[in-house]
Amino acid sequence: MLELLDAWLLAPLDYGFMQRALVAGLALSLAAPPLGVFLMLRGMSLIGDAMAHAILPGVALGFLFAGFSLPIMSLGGILSGLLVAVLAGSVSQMTGHREDSAMASFFLISLAAGVMLVSLGGSSVDLTHVLFGSILAVNTTALLLIAAISSLIVVALAVIFRALVVECLDPLFLRGQGVRGGLVHGTFLGLVVLNLTAGFQTLGTLMAVGLMMLPATTARFWSQRLEGLIGIAILVALVASSGGLLLSYHLNLPSGPAIILLAGAGYLLSALLGRHHSLLARYRRRAAPLGAPEPD
Amino acid sequence: MSRLQLEDLTLARGGRTVLEHLEGRFQDGAVTALVGANGAGKSTLISAIMGMLRPVAGRVACQVPKERRAWLPQQLALDLTFPMSVEELIMTGTWPSHGALKGYCAAHYRRGREIMARLGISHLAHRQLGELSGGQRQRALIGRTLMQEAELLLLDEPFANVDVETVDVLMEVLRDMARDGATLVVVLHDLEQLSRLADDMLVLAGGHGRWASPESLLERYAGQPPRAPRLPLTFPDTLDAGTA
Repeated sequence: MLELLDAWLLAPLDYGFMQRALVAGLALSLAAPPLGVFLMLRGMSLIGDAMAHAILPGVALGFLFAGFSLPIMSLGGILSGLLVAVLAGSVSQMTGHREDSAMASFFLISLAAGVMLVSLGGSSVDLTHVLFGSILAVNTTALLLIAAISSLIVVALAVIFRALVVECLDPLFLRGQGVRGGLVHGTFLGLVVLNLTAGFQTLGTLMAVGLMMLPATTARFWSQRLEGLIGIAILVALVASSGGLLLSYHLNLPSGPAIILLAGAGYLLSALLGRHHSLLARYRRRAAPLGAPEPD
Repeated sequence: MSRLQLEDLTLARGGRTVLEHLEGRFQDGAVTALVGANGAGKSTLISAIMGMLRPVAGRVACQVPKERRAWLPQQLALDLTFPMSVEELIMTGTWPSHGALKGYCAAHYRRGREIMARLGISHLAHRQLGELSGGQRQRALIGRTLMQEAELLLLDEPFANVDVETVDVLMEVLRDMARDGATLVVVLHDLEQLSRLADDMLVLAGGHGRWASPESLLERYAGQPPRAPRLPLTFPDTLDAGTA
């Protein structure tokens, strides 16, 4: 039994690339889910997806200029992500259109521009790498970058936490207190971009969102409190990233999709069996007789 | 003295003038009812008083510091499904002194509990906002303004979707705030509530504002049942004829 556990859980970690991949996954799992929880609570679940596309042209430009250098590609990604966020924000403010429509337009432009740039400069193998990442190719530089960005996000989120909570509930309250309207929102979007850039090396630009949103939407079925949501989301992400990595090692699967599919399985299971709003919870509520104590 | 004054104020929204040449002073330590039909410019005026809308001409002279001004929008404007407990909501009222980072100390929690007791929501302290009734939420939101020690309080239909008992509690709390010197501006549509709460009245209609005593409006509608019709949308002309 112990031998089996050892063979399944520990033996893969004898390899340097697995160690680095695991640490990278765990670092991302601490930073991404809290952002996902806030995106979900603000009704912006799909904004993460849009931002993920928005970082693509920057990553591609970095790739064209510097080859496969993670720091340069990340820098490009951050810049283009922020640019799209700012453009979308100002277009929606100027025109009065909703921010998501501006965001949708810009992310489609970015996606097309990014794919065009990558194809101009490289092969389809490169494109696949940028789009879907490869957690097993994380080197020490990449690991340091991912760990640094993740730490920065956790600290920054702690600093703006109260402001973010107040703003989600009642944006006018903060404005009334003299906090500039876009400041908290902009910082938050900036953190989302940072997180996606940290995630693209391991999961690819498209799937980096998965580690952000799926744990958050899963947590919704288990807790109704903010602390609970964040805690559970982090837990789900930790399990999914390490479990997915091991699965991909043993079954010879691509690591990114394995991680996200594991998180996805957690979501579906929670939708069936979770404590709140799940199918099971609904069934139970309906079956409870009148006068029975309310489940909390 | 009056800490809130309108001086030849003209306001516009989206390129359309909403209010013109507003003049007058809101009494300190009193409740001023803001009355007008939908679209008459009540929210626009409130935005300008909060300093969120720049006047086209004239100015709002407000001596209350920004952090002591509180605006309670209609409940519909707030995302009350956000996971937050009543106590947490009330504690966010400490923003002027605590900002984004400073931790709450025991004294503030004690004050929070006193406020909840006064509003009759102590038993709901750890309930989530999403689980509350309209009346309970409104009590919690007023609790936040008490925590904020607001000296200028702007309320947009605070008694909409609120049970009768809550209306009584809140009216008492608001009267107490006025007695302690706060300036209150309340958007109201209900004659009975107006008669119980308001000391003064600003009527907005046709892009202009007229100050009147609540009594003048009540006299005009003396024969009507107290709660039923909401303030008729055509009243400004008749009121004008009545007071002239």
